[in-house]
Amino acid sequence: MKFTLINNLQKDSAMSLVLKGFLVFILLYLVSDVVVMNSNFGISADKVNTTLFGNEEEYIDPISEASFLEFWHTEIFFIMMILLTLSAIFIRVAKRSRIILTNILMISSISSLIFLPLAYYMSNFFVHLYIFTYFIWHIMALYMILYSFWKLNAKSV
Amino acid sequence: MQKAYKLSILYYLAFSLLLIVSAVMLFEHKIGFSFNGVVDYYVGNEDKFIPAKSLVGILKIVLPHIFVFGLLAMVLLHFLVFTEHRYKKSTLVLIYLTFTTALLEMFTPFLIVVGLEFFAYIKLFSFFIFLALILYVSWLLLRSIIKE
Repeated sequence: MKFTLINNLQKDSAMSLVLKGFLVFILLYLVSDVVVMNSNFGISADKVNTTLFGNEEEYIDPISEASFLEFWHTEIFFIMMILLTLSAIFIRVAKRSRIILTNILMISSISSLIFLPLAYYMSNFFVHLYIFTYFIWHIMALYMILYSFWKLNAKSV
Repeated sequence: MQKAYKLSILYYLAFSLLLIVSAVMLFEHKIGFSFNGVVDYYVGNEDKFIPAKSLVGILKIVLPHIFVFGLLAMVLLHFLVFTEHRYKKSTLVLIYLTFTTALLEMFTPFLIVVGLEFFAYIKLFSFFIFLALILYVSWLLLRSIIKE
């Protein structure tokens, strides 16, 4: 987190390059996450419902509680670490709207992680909310990555 | 500290809380919070059709946790450096305790499997103490952010 203390990131070519490299990796993670989720867990209401509750017509068993809890537990850790570092970079380079955008990113990601167990344990109504918030935080994170990348290439930060 | 960075830390604390909730639910579901539950999970129980864990099997579970516990504790504890708790002796004790309980929580299953069943108590104790310490550090950080 040393980059939060550097006055002019653009002048520090090494730190700027490190951050750009890191942003590329976060971008790759987000894209891969959507692709993997689409093929395994699902990113549509129907697919997520099938994964969580099974489908008798297609002879698909529901996910076991242990597998679900392991999945949820792992997701929380990865998302918290990625969003902490991404928001730290974004806050460092962005001047306007950084608080509101950080709030949207964090609230939507935390909400998606809360809606997921609510969907599994309480009602499949929360599946829709989970998918909605999942896409909100992915879109917001994508915007923050691209904006940070653009700002790191600007004349001064 | 800038207001925006405080916001990031606040959300990190919220994520940590969520991680603790999921850890407790997972532990309760897979192992259980009793001495017998812990011993059965690692040593196995024929009556309950629970297979015994091998040392390599435990290592496979422990492996990602070594990185995760270390990173989680480091990130959370290093935020204390930016607060009024930086120069306190109690902060050093807190840091030692957090890393020690994390180590005990991860490595006691190896001792349980080799026959030292008493360490099931240590496993349970260290699990709760580690989580309690994470919560306590989170509380210290939250209080510092609100006070500033």
